[in-house]
Amino acid sequence: MSTDNLFKAAPAKRILGRIAPENFIGRSEHLREITALAPATSPRSGLLVHAAPAAGASELLRQAYDKLFQQRGAASPVYFAFTRHEQTVVAAARRFLHTFLTQLVAHRRADASFVNAPPALRDLIDLADPSDYEWIERLVMTYERTREGGDELALVRLCFGAPALAAARGARSVVLLDEIQNVEKLGGEIELGNEIAQVSMHGEVPFVLCGLRRGLLDELSGGNAPHRFDGFGTIHLEGLKEADARTLVERLAFTERVSINDETRDLIVQLFGGSPFYIASFMYSAHRDNVSLTSFLECQKIYVDEILGGRINRRFNSILEEVTPSHTTRRALIRLLHDAATNAGGKSPVEAWRRRLELEPDELYPLMFALHVRELASFNATFMEIGTENLWRDYLRASYRLQVAAEPRALVVADTLVETLKRAPQTMARHYRRAAALNLRELLARFDAQRVAASLLHYDRFSRIYRGIETEEIELGLDAETDLIRLPQIVHASSCAAFHPAMLLVCDEERCAVAHGFDAMPYTDANEVVWLTAEIDSKLEAGRAVTEVWCDRLAQVGASCGFKRFKLWLAAPEGFSAEASELLNERGAFSSSRQQLELLTARLSPEAAGGAGAVAGADAPDEFEMVIPMGSDTELIAAHTVEQIARRLDFPAEAINQIKTALIEACINAAEHSLSPDRKIYQRFRLESDKLVVTVSSRGLIVPSPTNAGANGNDAREENNGRRGWGLKLIRTLMDEVEFERVDDGTRLRMTKYLHR
Amino acid sequence: MVDSHDRSPVRSERSGDIAVIYASDYLNKLSGERIERECRAALAVGCRALVVDFKNTGLVNSIGVSIMLGVIDAAERARAPLVFSNVNAQAAQLFEILGLTLHASLAADEQAALRLLSDVNLPEHRPLAVGKHT
Repeated sequence: MSTDNLFKAAPAKRILGRIAPENFIGRSEHLREITALAPATSPRSGLLVHAAPAAGASELLRQAYDKLFQQRGAASPVYFAFTRHEQTVVAAARRFLHTFLTQLVAHRRADASFVNAPPALRDLIDLADPSDYEWIERLVMTYERTREGGDELALVRLCFGAPALAAARGARSVVLLDEIQNVEKLGGEIELGNEIAQVSMHGEVPFVLCGLRRGLLDELSGGNAPHRFDGFGTIHLEGLKEADARTLVERLAFTERVSINDETRDLIVQLFGGSPFYIASFMYSAHRDNVSLTSFLECQKIYVDEILGGRINRRFNSILEEVTPSHTTRRALIRLLHDAATNAGGKSPVEAWRRRLELEPDELYPLMFALHVRELASFNATFMEIGTENLWRDYLRASYRLQVAAEPRALVVADTLVETLKRAPQTMARHYRRAAALNLRELLARFDAQRVAASLLHYDRFSRIYRGIETEEIELGLDAETDLIRLPQIVHASSCAAFHPAMLLVCDEERCAVAHGFDAMPYTDANEVVWLTAEIDSKLEAGRAVTEVWCDRLAQVGASCGFKRFKLWLAAPEGFSAEASELLNERGAFSSSRQQLELLTARLSPEAAGGAGAVAGADAPDEFEMVIPMGSDTELIAAHTVEQIARRLDFPAEAINQIKTALIEACINAAEHSLSPDRKIYQRFRLESDKLVVTVSSRGLIVPSPTNAGANGNDAREENNGRRGWGLKLIRTLMDEVEFERVDDGTRLRMTKYLHR
Repeated sequence: MVDSHDRSPVRSERSGDIAVIYASDYLNKLSGERIERECRAALAVGCRALVVDFKNTGLVNSIGVSIMLGVIDAAERARAPLVFSNVNAQAAQLFEILGLTLHASLAADEQAALRLLSDVNLPEHRPLAVGKHT
């Protein structure tokens, strides 16, 4: 994708924001929530921001600061981050007061120049707005007296009480406190988290309290009398949604002048799980090295550079240094983490940690808790479970090999590159499978005791009544049905693997779900029911054998989880064979095809859905390009187009028919054999003096060939019954030359027809 | 040339014990299923032979053709002869490549198909269970 003409945005003034506001993607709602605290009439007293690691929480607060700073006459923004370098509560409190007065004075003077270079405290008195001079001078004097007096608690309360004092003197502020998890490490007798909670809850000044989600409330909890934070809103800050992450990659590619394409953009999003910090680090690295990211290889090279020596490497190094400053212990920790990561399940007992790190409990538990809060591991009382994020595990593996095993760096770089490159198509395949899944869990979550046509949950009945009938007619038929099923009210829906991890061995997490609910009122044991659902991966109607396997699997999950009453519901894109339906009826299980699920979804939450195609113009007189959406017989449009093009070269009618048929088959193949993310088929027609070359490509996963057993254990031969998978055979018969190749992120089929052969 | 996908239901006629089903302009999954449905319905009510006429069919694809194999199966189970008529050259080539012509006869047009069926002994009435798909 050329980025030259994209996103012509005017540069915006930044004070604390580290990235341009136009590149701050996907957080506008959160930004609005924070800035809405500024007016005195705001209904909220503050916000708790529970942030996932590397989700960009600090940047959110910094962007909010810049936005609030520009709102003249409103509350003054104050941003303060607790750092891990701070030694004591008193030091943190003193720095807070200094920061508070600096930023307040800067805002009230409308002069951002000294926000990043704070003057001395006494100089701030002279810089203050005349209306603030008196109370600031008095505050500074009181501060100096209290400091000299040695009463630490009084000093801390004075410093953190400054916003309330200022507000009482007409200088209202919005205080943004960042990285609250670092408060835990501050030495001294004072529980700073508790002090902050008190100040933020009982003053007139709105506070935004932001920290890592596994540590925030622990710091602010208040011990045996937990604070309630009445009037506070909550923001759960996680990785960016996929669409926003894609936009971020595109924006950064534009601003950093890095070439990307759709395939690499999507890979980058998947590599970093939507983390804006990692994505930005990666794109800056590509810019620094002047690398164009137009292939998976180039992307993985930068990825490996980042893991082994870039900002991402430094982030993980810095966390480990913070967790254990001793070099020897850190080395032992890396070995331990690496060994645990390579164990089945990534778990290891806490006792093993104690022995191998040779640490006393008072040193060991803070270390384990710090890893837990940063989500690099999960601490579950008796064992530690290493985080599964690929990025962290890649870092760990490389660090172990370099620092512990002392392997040559070149070997580690080469191996890491080769391994991550091999993994890239799998990463994308996993993404496509996830995107193409039938979303049973989401659908179940919408069950709320509605009544729906029974045929929607019985494939055999649906097929008997509606096979070969247009959707509009089916909808009318469903409306007229008198045999209705009352759906349960689902109160909790989750992936099956969350209940029974072994299911991950046989299917993707999103393809199997468990939903707890009630099939009648009142909420009693008798009415409690669990729906167990799974999506069977089958190109044709699922056969009896695979259906039986899945019925047994789900029943086993139900039994092993101790569900008293459960109902099975199987889904397969094309439904179930007659024999499979018979089995499902015997087992009292529900069954649905993709079409039934779509109809059911529309009935539970009617929303319009649809797609549109795009036709690109030609870029040369003898070359034509066309993009069509998959489905809805759009292959006919392609066939008509290629007919007109072939006529230009005077192909005989029979040859034209053969080209049309081959193209139709290629389009069907592209639609059927890929879990395409954009659902588009890209076609290029090139006329040469004696031939027509047609190239058909699509992005997405290459579905395994029918002769291979499916991932979920079904016998594909049984399912196919030898009647599908003819497309490529036909194309080879109809065209003179056919080349089928797998490219970085999908497939490409090139077909040639000669004029005279 | 096929201008648009015909969305109307499949038309069929009876000629004595023979049902004639007219395929639409594009033989694909949906139109194939419609033909299959119509054929099964005809067999269920006692038709003893089937003609599927492709007079209006300009284009076919392999999925549509694969469904025709299902029609052949259903006809064979009911011991009802099946003839495809008015198959254009392109479709005929596909039928040939994909092996349909091993199991069903081709006729130049509908009349030829009916003549062909009148020359064979049609089986006793043996209705097929409706909705039984393979």
